[in-house]
Amino acid sequence: MSGILDHLSLGFGVAASPINLLLALVGAFLGTIVGVLPGLGPINGVAMLIPIAFAMNLPPESALILLAAVYVGAEYGGRITSILLNVPGEAASVMTTLDGYPLARQGLASVALSISAWSSFVGSFIGVVGIVFFAPILAKWALAFGPAEYFLLMVFAFCALTSLLGDRPVKGVLAAMIGLAISTIGIDSNSGVYRYTFDIPNLADGMAFVVVVIGLFAVSEMLQMLENVLSGHSIDVPKSTRKLFNFKELCFTWWCTVRSGVIGFFIGVLPGAGASVASAVTYANEKRHYENKDPNAKFGKGDLRGVAAPEAANNASAVGSFIPMLTLGVPGSGTTAVMMGALSLYSITPGPALFESQPELVWGLIASLFIANFMLLLMNIPLVNIFAAMLRVPPWLLVPGILVISYIGVYALHSATFDLGLVVAIGVFGYFLRKFGVPLPPLVLGVVLGDMMEQNLRRALSMTNGELSILWQSTISKGLIFACLAIIIVPYFYRQFKKRRAH
Amino acid sequence: MLNDRWLGVFAIGLSVFLFWFGHGLEAPFAYEPVGPRAFPMLLAAIICLCGLILLIKGGSPVAPNTHSANFRILLMVAIIAAYGMLFQLLGFIIATTLMTACVARLFGGTWLRSATAGILMGVIFFFLFDRLLDVVLPSGLLRAWL
Repeated sequence: MSGILDHLSLGFGVAASPINLLLALVGAFLGTIVGVLPGLGPINGVAMLIPIAFAMNLPPESALILLAAVYVGAEYGGRITSILLNVPGEAASVMTTLDGYPLARQGLASVALSISAWSSFVGSFIGVVGIVFFAPILAKWALAFGPAEYFLLMVFAFCALTSLLGDRPVKGVLAAMIGLAISTIGIDSNSGVYRYTFDIPNLADGMAFVVVVIGLFAVSEMLQMLENVLSGHSIDVPKSTRKLFNFKELCFTWWCTVRSGVIGFFIGVLPGAGASVASAVTYANEKRHYENKDPNAKFGKGDLRGVAAPEAANNASAVGSFIPMLTLGVPGSGTTAVMMGALSLYSITPGPALFESQPELVWGLIASLFIANFMLLLMNIPLVNIFAAMLRVPPWLLVPGILVISYIGVYALHSATFDLGLVVAIGVFGYFLRKFGVPLPPLVLGVVLGDMMEQNLRRALSMTNGELSILWQSTISKGLIFACLAIIIVPYFYRQFKKRRAH
Repeated sequence: MLNDRWLGVFAIGLSVFLFWFGHGLEAPFAYEPVGPRAFPMLLAAIICLCGLILLIKGGSPVAPNTHSANFRILLMVAIIAAYGMLFQLLGFIIATTLMTACVARLFGGTWLRSATAGILMGVIFFFLFDRLLDVVLPSGLLRAWL
């Protein structure tokens, strides 16, 4: 217990420096804006800011604080658009539209917005407390992992991500493999052999991670926006009589918020399963729970609990997804995968050793998640109208702005025109993948994990001189293989079961 | 009509590509049982398998774009490619002004608004990033004045 307090005071020492406080504030603000804008989610916001943070020579812990604040901020911001426009501001707030929009129609927009800001806060808070208690334990436990176990753990992350994506597992696997293939470009670090570089010097170090991510999540997103002629959104919502939720509403949603926060946190900890899964699972769970007990429950027609549950869950899971990244070096969501790529720019490899070697980084990040969360709560209740006004920015101003920031980031990396060309090529490629319904998060995970995965596999096989049996020898390996099979099979049968019941 | 079959064809093509340019990868001094070739070959095999499944199953047709949407997307790709080429050559301010004006037009801004947005975006972002945040941007043709 005293160990935890020591760590936390170290962390708050780092997080409370003026520059880091400022970065947390800026990150929280930008993140909320990114979350509000439909089509842009945390992954886009983080992807665009990484190269800029790096080019500004921010130290790694400051860069991570900025990015983490953006991530959590985006989970807050997504709800605003869901409630006011019935359009999810980012993927994880789809469930919030179900009850949020009906509430807004009934003149309760401000109540829904403030209660969901509160439940986002509670969710994030549960998540951060969870990190403080579970991350060090998991990190200690992970020290027992050898290369074979690491390889299997990464396989598990892919299994979890693709299986939970739902009905297109083949496309998920394909995306992951394309990502892994991209990661093989460049000099092989073990043998010095050039792979797939075609004598292009810019590719010798591999395809820069930032280039891939911005191509996939900024450029291809813009191309998709062009499919429909867009105009700015006009918000017309009946005027609210009250600005804030009252004590009765707070009690009304309390248990549902806490329960969803806890469930969301554990879903976030699972490598690969992100905030969208968490909000969907908890919404369904609360709906089932209350519809049996409470005859007045009106989920889907404007129940405050239907807004509180998914918002608590998606924030808790966003925060929880830092745990696998920090302790195992295997990201828990697409966005933390992108953040891990950012750390690799600083030559920092997350993993169990991080808690020993970089305690300022880890605990500074955790402490600033606490601080950013308070900032976000304070920002999101009184300033909600300012964020909502962002929806009035017309696309003809927004799209070039996003492009300019993306290009600045990519150019800042190597000052190379080649990279700018590559971004366009990857953007077009990403656009086609989107059209074919190929999910992009597994691809990013592949690019981030590729090198580690290959190195661990080769190291493991070196130990036995090429004998494959090492992959299933230890108890941990057997457990991981079992977990992989379980996470593939269980959702599959669950879906079959649901299909049959629907008939 | 685009559907999963075409995605399958693409995946098989990709696996052939990976195999063709990867099967000759050999370390000059091998001191480990698994060289640089095995992992790409494994990926090529799995990609090929995915491709075959998609090719055989087919289905899930891609929602077609309207002609005007396709035209706008092509135009956008041309603009951003040109922006990348001219970024260093003309310098950040001029390239950004041109790109912003064109993209804003594409998204339905009027000429006047697009041009104004272009100039403002170029100048403001240059001073924000290059001067304030220390992210060096190319000054290009305006080098003498900046």
